[in-house]
Amino acid sequence: MAATAMEHDGGGGAEVVTPGELLGASSSLAAGRGAYADGHSVRASVTGRRRILPPTPGSSDQQRSTVEVVGHKAHGAVPQPGSVVIARVTKVMARMASADIMCVDSKAVKEKFTGMIRQQDVRATEIDKVDMYQSYRPGDIVRALVLSLGDARAYYLSTAKNELGVVSAQSIAGGTLVPTSWTEMQCELTGQIEQRKVAKVE
Amino acid sequence: MSAAAAAAGTYTPAAEAGGKRREKREELRRHLAEDADWPRADGRSIHDCRPAFMQTGPTTAASGSAYAEFGKTKVIVSVFGPRESKKAMLYSDTGRLNCSVSYTTFATGIRGQGLENKEYSGMLHKALEGAVMLHTFPKTTVDVFALVLESGGSDLPIIISCASLALADAGIMMYDLVTSVSVSCLGKNVIIDPTSDEEAWQDGGLMVSYMPTRREITQLTLTGEWSDGKITNAVELCMDACSKLCEILRERLKDTAVLEENE
Repeated sequence: MAATAMEHDGGGGAEVVTPGELLGASSSLAAGRGAYADGHSVRASVTGRRRILPPTPGSSDQQRSTVEVVGHKAHGAVPQPGSVVIARVTKVMARMASADIMCVDSKAVKEKFTGMIRQQDVRATEIDKVDMYQSYRPGDIVRALVLSLGDARAYYLSTAKNELGVVSAQSIAGGTLVPTSWTEMQCELTGQIEQRKVAKVE
Repeated sequence: MSAAAAAAGTYTPAAEAGGKRREKREELRRHLAEDADWPRADGRSIHDCRPAFMQTGPTTAASGSAYAEFGKTKVIVSVFGPRESKKAMLYSDTGRLNCSVSYTTFATGIRGQGLENKEYSGMLHKALEGAVMLHTFPKTTVDVFALVLESGGSDLPIIISCASLALADAGIMMYDLVTSVSVSCLGKNVIIDPTSDEEAWQDGGLMVSYMPTRREITQLTLTGEWSDGKITNAVELCMDACSKLCEILRERLKDTAVLEENE
C-alpha cells in the first residue's frame, strides 16, 4: 500500500502528510499554517502537502524556514477579526442592522453566520447622527469588516471605510440601484434616488 | 400410598431434556476455565483483529465523513462545521464539539427505537476533545453525528476511530488521529476486538482510545472483573493495535488527498 502511494505521488515531490505526523525538528523549522510546534518537534495538524517556505526577511527569526501544510479540504471559512466579508442585510432596526454573512475573504461559507452592524460602526464621521434606514435596507448586499467575535448571537461588523458598504441593492420598484455618490443610489427603471451607505468599489 | 401418589400425577422431567443446550453451555464454560487458546466463532485467534475496511467521503452534504466496516459492525460518521451553534448557548472563546451517536432501528437483532445513545455520545466526546484543536474555530461548533448501521460488537471503539477519520476528512485541525480498540476478559483469556456474542459473555472489558504518534491515551474505560497483571498486558495490547489501525487511517487519508488533487 505504501508503494502504490508513492507511485501516485507525482506532483512536485512534496509528500502528503496527515494530522500528527512529524514534519521536522523545531530547532530548524517554524510551524506555519496547518502545523503546530510540540516540544522539540513540529507536527502536521491537517491532511495535505508539506511545503517549506524560506524565512521571511523582516522577521527576527532568520535561521528557521517555515513549514506549512496545504490541504485541499481545509475546513470551511470562519469569520475572523479583520477579515472582509460579504453579507446580506436581513433586519434594519433603530440602532443596528442584522446581516447574514455569506462569504469570508472571497470564500463562500457552507452555512451562514449571523453578523450585526451597530449604529456607531456604519461610517467613520458623525457616528451619532446615523439613520439606519437611510444606510441599509433588508436585502442589500454589503461588504463589511469583522470587528470582533461579538457575543453569543452575532459577529460585530463595521462598514466605516470608503470601500465598505452597500455593493448591490434593489430599489422599491424592483430595479437595480446604481451608485451616484457615497450616500445615494439611483434606480435604473424609475430614476428614483434612494439613500444608502455606498461602498466605493475600485 | 404409592397408588395415591401415582394418581396425583408427577411432573419429574426426563434426564435428557434440554440436553443439547446444556451440553453447549458446559463446553463454553470448560473453554473459558481451561483452554489457553480456543478458536473463536469466526475462526480468529484471541489476539487477531477483524479486517478493517474504512472509506472517506460517503456523505457528500457533510464537511467530512467516513464509513467503517469491521466484520459485522458498520458505522457511518458525518462531520458538519465549523458552523454557528443552532441553540444560542453562552459565548465561548474556544470552539465546541458536539457529538451524537445513534443506532438505526435495524442495527441489532431486536428492532430498536432509533434514539440517540446519550452514554456513547458523551464517551465519544471525551475521546475526541483531547485531539481536536478547539482554539482554531472560536465561537463556532463542529457537529459529529455517528450512525451505527449494524451492531456486531466493539461498537464504540469503531465509532471513535471512524469519527477521527471523518474529522480529518473535514479538515478540522487536530493534534493527532485518535484510534480506539477494545478487549474482553473471558475467563483466563484476554481477547481483542470482541464480537457482540463475546461481549455479552465477558467478565470484564477494557477500551483504550490512543493518539499513536504523540503516544498519549485520550480515554481509558475499564468495566467488570480484572486482575492487575492482566490490565497492564491488555492496555499494551490495545495501544499496539491502535498504532496499527492508525496506519490504515493515514493511508486512507493520503489516498483521498492524492485522488482529489488529480481531479
